[in-house]
Amino acid sequence: MAPGLRLLRGNVGLMVAPVVIAIAGVLLAVRVGGAEKDFSEASALQWSERLWPQLRRHIELTMWSTFWVLIIAIPLGILLTRPRLKFLAGPVLTVANSGQAIPAYGLLVLLAAWLGTTFSTAVIAFTIFAILPVLRNTMVGLDQVDKSVIEAGRGMGMSRRRALVSIELPLAVPVILAGVRTALVINVGMAALAFLIGGGGLGETINSGLKLQRDLTTFTGAAMVALLALTVDWIAAVAERVLRPRGL
Amino acid sequence: MSGITNWFEYVGDRWSDVWGASWDHLMLVIQVMIVATVLSVAVGVAVRNNATLRNIALGVAGILITIPSLALFTIFIPIVGLGFKPAFIALLLYAILPILRNTITGLREVDPNVLESARGMGLNGTQRLIRVQLPLAWPVILAGIRVSTLITTGFAAIATLVAGPGLGIFIKDGLRRLGLPLSMESVWTGTIFTILLALALDLVLSTIGRFTTSRGVR
Repeated sequence: MAPGLRLLRGNVGLMVAPVVIAIAGVLLAVRVGGAEKDFSEASALQWSERLWPQLRRHIELTMWSTFWVLIIAIPLGILLTRPRLKFLAGPVLTVANSGQAIPAYGLLVLLAAWLGTTFSTAVIAFTIFAILPVLRNTMVGLDQVDKSVIEAGRGMGMSRRRALVSIELPLAVPVILAGVRTALVINVGMAALAFLIGGGGLGETINSGLKLQRDLTTFTGAAMVALLALTVDWIAAVAERVLRPRGL
Repeated sequence: MSGITNWFEYVGDRWSDVWGASWDHLMLVIQVMIVATVLSVAVGVAVRNNATLRNIALGVAGILITIPSLALFTIFIPIVGLGFKPAFIALLLYAILPILRNTITGLREVDPNVLESARGMGLNGTQRLIRVQLPLAWPVILAGIRVSTLITTGFAAIATLVAGPGLGIFIKDGLRRLGLPLSMESVWTGTIFTILLALALDLVLSTIGRFTTSRGVR
């Protein structure tokens, strides 16, 4: 069956989400377009000068940090589940769990003081922040693969590497993809804080609204970030469905 | 090394401020966690036997946790104003999913045979829930509460951006004065005390877990 058709079956939620997001987006645009704005508010809410470049910057921040998270976390997760390095897995998972307590805000500012207030600093901070959950997902996913299946593969004459590539990784794909989705969602959220260190993004609009005490501006920024996050999550969910190995 | 000594000096000089902000942070997190726990467990119990309701509850909680923290913090400002309220609401909405998910999983993982024997012993539905299901599911629920507490404590540092209480104030101050003397000490104070607070709460919860887990499932 074509991937498109496969998606349609039993995935009503996946069909409804984009419609709801689109309706919310249109309502927001109508509300903002029709509202009476004073000078500062009108300039903060300009589409081509403010909102659109910020949206683009927000997506760039998300994509780059997600890219680096995946490049680092997935190979690292594979390494840490190999027999030779397995002894490190427990401590790393403990650190990954407690790592959730690190305030993103603090991490961002500390890195900014060290590396300067730039786009790359923001990407580095978000990468560090999102690595732990993705690493944990990859390790748990690989760990969860039935050991007897691997044994069977080895018995059929597969080398360790071959068993990893053709058994373990495909079977762990759903969990790893869930990790990718997690990384994307975390990074969209973190990118909203990039404005704090001059990294841009839709946080700028939220911040102008807070500073100018214009509720409509704050709300517009917050709603756009929320809609973007829901859209990204939806795309990731669709990817999860399409990329999952058939047998699972 | 002198950096570390300076930091201890900084914290020592401002101990009452640090203590006050930590206390505010702690109170915010505790209030959020109490309400989140009661709410999530109640919803989890209510939807546990109905697949549709279960999916709706988990779906809504999943959407809430997808919405970026800053958006969740600021989106309610037009309705509730600045300060404690928007921070409380945002953190509450964020804290629900891990507890709700674990409550549902925990309740469903209880062995049907055990429930059958409880019924055979003459326990009615409510008694089975309170005396059998919830105690057996408690370790799983508590694991959810712990994850949720860690996340909430970390995120509560952002509350200061909406004029909420807590340790974020030190980070915000440091950022405002970045490059000037003592700015870094201020940022480190906010960050380190937030982490310490989270780990302390986690330790308390794991101790509570040890004392409240029924003997049979320990």
